[in-house]
Amino acid sequence: MKLDEIKDRVGALWESVAEGWQHLMQSAAGALTRFKPVQGNPLPTEGEVDDGFYLPSRGWAVLGGDVFEDDRRLVVRLELPGMDKQDIQVEVLDEALVVSGQKRFERESSDGRWRVMQCAYGSFRRVVPLSVAVRADEARAAYRNGVLRVELPKAAPGAPRSLKIEVD
Amino acid sequence: MSTSNENHTGQGEALLPAVDVFEDEGGITLFADLPGVPREQLGLHVESDTLTIEGQMSPELAGSGEATHVELSLPRYRRAFTLSRELDVEKVSAAFEHGVLRLRIPKASHARPRKIEVQVG
Repeated sequence: MKLDEIKDRVGALWESVAEGWQHLMQSAAGALTRFKPVQGNPLPTEGEVDDGFYLPSRGWAVLGGDVFEDDRRLVVRLELPGMDKQDIQVEVLDEALVVSGQKRFERESSDGRWRVMQCAYGSFRRVVPLSVAVRADEARAAYRNGVLRVELPKAAPGAPRSLKIEVD
Repeated sequence: MSTSNENHTGQGEALLPAVDVFEDEGGITLFADLPGVPREQLGLHVESDTLTIEGQMSPELAGSGEATHVELSLPRYRRAFTLSRELDVEKVSAAFEHGVLRLRIPKASHARPRKIEVQVG
């Protein structure tokens, strides 16, 4: 397999996963996060990249996340691979957790070409709605193995809300 | 090198990690996003001309309760690559930090373009 063929092969790959991809888009529309280029940290130009899907001005990535709730706290986990801890900002705004930051692109020192570029770089902002009021001043965040984990104590501890609705 | 989706090999479904591939004269550098995978759960296998990257996410949610919103239903990554023969898989070097795997696969020395300086006397 020649290196030059990689573009076609990746194209075929995307077609084969298109069905799953659409399903993912529908089920996790909120996980699709836009990455914008940051001044001072240029991405490769289109001329340096052979990946037909690549556009330097626009990057999208699915930042998978989950929210866990028990009677004392909410735990939000968000996949943020390849970040520096100091480049992640975590805020609690009204009833949402706002995670923003910048994923830096590191240029290779040698002359070469980017054959495939699927990872997203740049600045991003992700809003995770919170189902209950939390004590933001007691929140704790940790970043490990490329996953951000934020623990938010509930303002009013209690079991997850569940309301049964009768069907007439 | 090419990528192929080998999720149908009977090992269950797995997520396909996003990758960047950079090629220069000396070889290729591959970056793969594997967030949530601890170092000890990362597997790299080379079999003839196929390189397979596998990673198992660690289930970190201890205690009771229910996840109210889940997007990470497949806790495993898997992606296979067919390597071109000019690459020397014996000399793969790997680094894994913050959920990003970086692999450097050099080209075999005979496959590298050689520069021959011509001296004019």
